[in-house]
Amino acid sequence: MSPEVLIGLTQSTGLLVLLSTGIGVTIGLIVGMIPGLTISTGIIVLLPVTFVLPADISIALLLGLYVGGMTGGSFSAVLLNIPGTPSASATAMDGYPMAARGEAGRALGIAITASFIGGMVSFLFLFSIAPLLANVALEFRTEDMFAVVFFGLTIICSFAAKSLIKGLLSAAIGLAIVTIGQDPVMGTQRFTFGQVNLMAGVHFLTAMIGLFAIPQLVANLTDGTGSASRVQTRLTSVLPKLSDLKAIRRSVSIGSLTGAFLGILPGAGGPIAAFISYEYARKASKRPDEFGTGVVEGVAAPESANNAVTGGALIPMMTLGIPGDPVTAILIGALIIHGLAPGPLMFLERADFAYGLIFSFLWANIFNFIIALAALRLLVKILATPRALLMPTVAVLCVIGSFALRNNFFDVYVMLLFGLIGLAMRWLDMPVVPLLLALVLGSQLEENLRVALTSSQGDISIFFTSPISLGFLILSLLSIVWSLRSARRANRVTSPPHKETPP
Amino acid sequence: MRHRNIIAAVVLLVIALGYGALTTQLPIRSLPDTPGPPFFPWVNTAILLALSISLLVQGLRGTATEDSGQTITPSDRGQRRLAVWALVAFVAYLVVLPGLGFLLATTPFFAVLMVLFGEKRRLWVAIGSIAVTTFLYLLFRHGFSVFLPRGILPDLVSGIFA
Repeated sequence: MSPEVLIGLTQSTGLLVLLSTGIGVTIGLIVGMIPGLTISTGIIVLLPVTFVLPADISIALLLGLYVGGMTGGSFSAVLLNIPGTPSASATAMDGYPMAARGEAGRALGIAITASFIGGMVSFLFLFSIAPLLANVALEFRTEDMFAVVFFGLTIICSFAAKSLIKGLLSAAIGLAIVTIGQDPVMGTQRFTFGQVNLMAGVHFLTAMIGLFAIPQLVANLTDGTGSASRVQTRLTSVLPKLSDLKAIRRSVSIGSLTGAFLGILPGAGGPIAAFISYEYARKASKRPDEFGTGVVEGVAAPESANNAVTGGALIPMMTLGIPGDPVTAILIGALIIHGLAPGPLMFLERADFAYGLIFSFLWANIFNFIIALAALRLLVKILATPRALLMPTVAVLCVIGSFALRNNFFDVYVMLLFGLIGLAMRWLDMPVVPLLLALVLGSQLEENLRVALTSSQGDISIFFTSPISLGFLILSLLSIVWSLRSARRANRVTSPPHKETPP
Repeated sequence: MRHRNIIAAVVLLVIALGYGALTTQLPIRSLPDTPGPPFFPWVNTAILLALSISLLVQGLRGTATEDSGQTITPSDRGQRRLAVWALVAFVAYLVVLPGLGFLLATTPFFAVLMVLFGEKRRLWVAIGSIAVTTFLYLLFRHGFSVFLPRGILPDLVSGIFA
């Protein structure tokens, strides 16, 4: 074991770091299980706290919340048939029928165990792949990095949107916003209109708070989900039986591997991994017809997959600085605030911190398993927390979070503006994730594009002569073609032939 | 959705044209054959224009998800009204926050949101809004050194007890 790995392990086992991981997991479990609060909202709420805490403690807290949130989502999916997070949607298909039969404890025990195994598999992926990939990425030149970032953006657009045009438009809006402030190569002021506050550009965390939290608050006002009265808080034994563990072996293996692999792809995320794993597990099962009626394999596959996504998503974040989802985007923001830039250099210059982060992820999964099993009966009672108290608290924490970023009211107003943009985008059925990730990746994209073109004196063939760059550009093209073909297929399925356009 | 797509496309076209117009005013500082500060905004303008036109064409041809023809029930209208009130309260809160300070501005805002989220018990609204606001203020101002605005409250208190 290299000295950096040992230092990382030691750092992650500091008392405050472990405590912070445990607190993060507990908050994650709570946030994940409450319908209407997503993991992103939970992390946004915790952001102001992380600004003032040391980097290792902050990241441990956020990682704990990320892991806990993924598992927490299954609680309300099983008990209420309302997934606490989008990633838990597939869990409800078999979890709720089990709860309806009076087997809620058994279903939740399986969900927690599968989440743990999925998380541990993704830790192994992260621990073994991330340092290797970082080493490879060190060899990347600017044209290669441009192609990698471009691929990250296009694949996010392909996955995130029902309509590719809307996904790409969302990303283009983000790229336009990113040009506000100093340009990343020459430092020229652009689109600042003489405003001092705009000179540093729009901080993506402020934008993120607005884009996610405000539409979420409004959505909670306009829908009536999450009635606490239907919660089944009396649970039978939650510890899985040996026979159940044997039964879920195959589905957990499928879910864990699928989740960890899909997690590496930016934009794929928990919901896609959960549904794909559910489908694979159903096909691989000896009793596929019983899926959907309340079988343990149907709970285990999506739950192991969505937790396996977390470790996978950390791989591109740590090695390339490319976030796979809003949560890893916030993690990048939290790292940058503490002066740490995720990317290949992190493993070279701050390998101790990088390994500390990886081990914090390991502890988060272990704590998640212990806390979820031990405190399940207590935690599910929180599902009865009145929304009237919870949602105003989230609203105020959004204001505090955007203010605390730079102790500036301008950021609070920017947050509100982005909230309105988020609402408009929701109304137009336009995804906000590509916009957010364009805000995170835009500067990198522009900088690498311009530096590469400067080095080639404006010759664009530089992007096609490097095999790495060419490979990622081909992958980008394939992701767009795949998205267009999927959309065409979906249109063919949903709209019958000769259907007239309604007036 | 078709009409929404057309509206979105037109709005984005206007934004793209405005963005392009502003880009023309950016200073050109670069060596020959190398991209300067306006390069990336020009690329963006072209992408935004192309995608907006595509969305407009899609909307006009009706190839995107068609209008669903959903009817809006009175309860939907009521819930939308609640959302509008919440946004109005949010804007008003942010306007008065720097002047009034965190405690004085947040407490009524919190109370309004509690009512909008369905809390009918007045005492519970009063206790909840004061308790949570005070807790958050103390936690962030004194626990995490986030300098939330004190506003006029210290002057008011010292004036009363002077």
